[in-house]
Amino acid sequence: MSRPALALVLLVALAAAIVLGVRFGPVELTTGEVLAALAGSGPEWQRQIVVDLRLPRMLLGALVGGGLALAGATFQALLRNPLAEPYILGISGGASVGAVSVIALGLAGAASWVLPLAALAGALLAIGLVFRVATAAGRSLDVRVLLLAGVVVAAFFTACIAFILSVAEARTVQSAVLWIMGSLAGARWQSVLVAAAYTLPAAILLMGLARPLNLIAIGEETAQYLGADVERVKRTALALAALLTAAGVAVAGVIAFVGLVVPHAIRLLVGSDHRALLPLSFLGGATFLILCDIVAQVVLAPTQLPVGVITAFVGVPLFLVLLRRSLVA
Amino acid sequence: MRRSRRLLLPLLGILVTAALPGCGASDGRGSSPPSEADVELTLTDADGRQVRLSGPARRVVSLVPSATQTLGALGAAEVVVARTDHDTASWTRALPSVGGGLQPSLEAIVAARPDLVIRFGGPQDPRTPDGLDRLGVPHLAIRPDRIADVLESARLLGRAVGREAAADSLVREIEAALDSVRASTAGRDRVRMAYVLGGDPPWVAGPGTYLDELIELAGGENAFGDLGSLYAAVSVEDFIARRVALVVTSDAGRLDPRAARGARVVEVGDALEIPGPGVADAARLLARIVHPEDGS
Repeated sequence: MSRPALALVLLVALAAAIVLGVRFGPVELTTGEVLAALAGSGPEWQRQIVVDLRLPRMLLGALVGGGLALAGATFQALLRNPLAEPYILGISGGASVGAVSVIALGLAGAASWVLPLAALAGALLAIGLVFRVATAAGRSLDVRVLLLAGVVVAAFFTACIAFILSVAEARTVQSAVLWIMGSLAGARWQSVLVAAAYTLPAAILLMGLARPLNLIAIGEETAQYLGADVERVKRTALALAALLTAAGVAVAGVIAFVGLVVPHAIRLLVGSDHRALLPLSFLGGATFLILCDIVAQVVLAPTQLPVGVITAFVGVPLFLVLLRRSLVA
Repeated sequence: MRRSRRLLLPLLGILVTAALPGCGASDGRGSSPPSEADVELTLTDADGRQVRLSGPARRVVSLVPSATQTLGALGAAEVVVARTDHDTASWTRALPSVGGGLQPSLEAIVAARPDLVIRFGGPQDPRTPDGLDRLGVPHLAIRPDRIADVLESARLLGRAVGREAAADSLVREIEAALDSVRASTAGRDRVRMAYVLGGDPPWVAGPGTYLDELIELAGGENAFGDLGSLYAAVSVEDFIARRVALVVTSDAGRLDPRAARGARVVEVGDALEIPGPGVADAARLLARIVHPEDGS
C-alpha cells in the first residue's frame, strides 16, 4: 500500500473510530440522542454520558495509543531490536511501583491527581536510573547497556510490586491489580489536556528526527559517517519516547501490545522509512486503541474488560497474519 | 473497611438508589413516599465525609451487595434502580446492572439517573468517587466489614432513604438475636476452630474480622486469633501445630486434607461471609455448627 493511501485510510479510520466510540458505549443511546447531547440539548444524563464520559475517553485513547505506538517505533529503531516496546526500559515497572505504593498506603483517594502523579514520578525514576547506568561507562550512550539495564531495573520493580502486594491488605491488592492492567475509564477532560500537553509536542519533535533515525537504524557507525549527530539524536529521541510512555502510563496504566504490534504492522505495510513509519504508527496506534477500548466496554457491558485484554486478543492474530503474509511475499 | 469475602471472589454489587428530586416522583416509583418529605439531610458516611442530600434518596444505585440486602430488609427495595453483577437477592434480578462493585461502568450509573450511589468506603477504588463527584452524583461510603458496621450501615442507609424507624427495628432485632446466641454459648467450653476462606495455602480469617467476631459469638475460639493481619495465607504446618478441632470453610473440596487431619470439617458455602442483614442467621448457623449436640 502506498504511503499517502495508508495515511488517508488511517486518518479516516481514526475519525470513524472516534465517532463510533461516541456513538456506542455500554449504555444504548440512539443516534438522535447522541447528536442532541453533542448539541447541548437533550436530558442532562445523556449529555453527561456523551460529553463528559465518552468524548474525553476517545480522545485520551487516541493520545495514549498514538503515543505508545510512536514510542515503540522509536525504541525499535534506537535499540535496533524488534522486541523493543515502550515499556522495555522499566518505565511500566517504575510507574506501577509509584501507583501501587500510593494505593497500598491509602493515599490514592486523597485527590484525583495523586495516582497519575505517583505513576509519572515512578516512570521518571526508572528512566533516570536506566539512563544513568547506561551512560556511566563514558560519554556515549551504549544501547546494549541501556537495554540490559532496562530489563534488570524492570525485574527489580516487579519484585517491589510483589513485595508491596504481599504485605498490603487484600482489598488494596485488587485495586492495584486493576490499575496495573490499564484502562481508559479514568478519562476526563483534565487528563485529556494533560496528555495532549505531553504527547503532541513530543510526537512532533520525534517525527522531526525521522531522517537521522533512518540512519541510526542501519548502524550507529554508518550514521556517524553519514553526518548524523548520533549521540544527540539518540539521547533526544530516547528521552522523548520515554516521556511519551510515562505520560501514557500515568493517565491510563500499563496497556500492553499497542507499542509493540502497531509499529511492526505499519512497517510490514509501508517499509521502515521513519518519515512515514513514525506518523503512521501514531495514527495506527490511536485508531487501534480506541477500537479496542470500544470492544472492551461493549462486549460484556456493563462489565468492563481491561483494554489490554482486547489489544492482545485482536492485535496478536492480526499481527501474525501480517507477518505471515510478509514472509510469503 | 476490611473485605470479608475471599480474595479471589470479585466484589459486590451495585444498587442504584437514585432519587432525582422532581423526576423521582413522576416516574411511577413514588408508591411508598417516605414520611419526612424532602427535608434536607446531612449524613456522615463511613469515610467521614459529610454527604448532603436534598431529601431522602428515591433512586439509589448500590455498589455494595450487603448494603443492597440491607435496603431490601428495610423495605426500600423499590428505590433501588440498578444492581451489580454480584448481587444475589432475587428481587434485584430484573434491574439493569452497572458492572462490578469496584470500577463499575460510570456510564451505566449515569443512565440509571441515581440521586444517590452507595459505594465501598476506603481507598480501593478511587476512580469511582472521583468520577461521581465530577458528574455531580452524591455518593455515600459504606464499610461492610464487622458486625458493628452492619448495624451502623443499617442506620445510615435508613436515614438516607427516609426509613429510620425500619432501620431502628432492624438493628434492635439483630442485636436481640445476637444476644440470644451469645447467651446460649456463655459458660461453655470454647471450641478451637478456624475459618478457611479457601485457597492453597489456606487463607484464614484473623483477629478483627467479621468472621472472628462470629466465631467468638458462636462459642468458638479462633485458632488464628493472633494473626498479624486480617486475613492471611498460612502454612499447612502452622495449621497442624495449632491443633484445630473444627474447620469451617466455604468450600471443603479446596481444603488441603493434611491441614484438616483430625479436625471436624463443615462446609457452609458463602453463608457466613457477607456482613449484611443476615448476620443473625449467620451467628445462629455457626453456633449450631460449633455445638451440634444442641440439636435444634
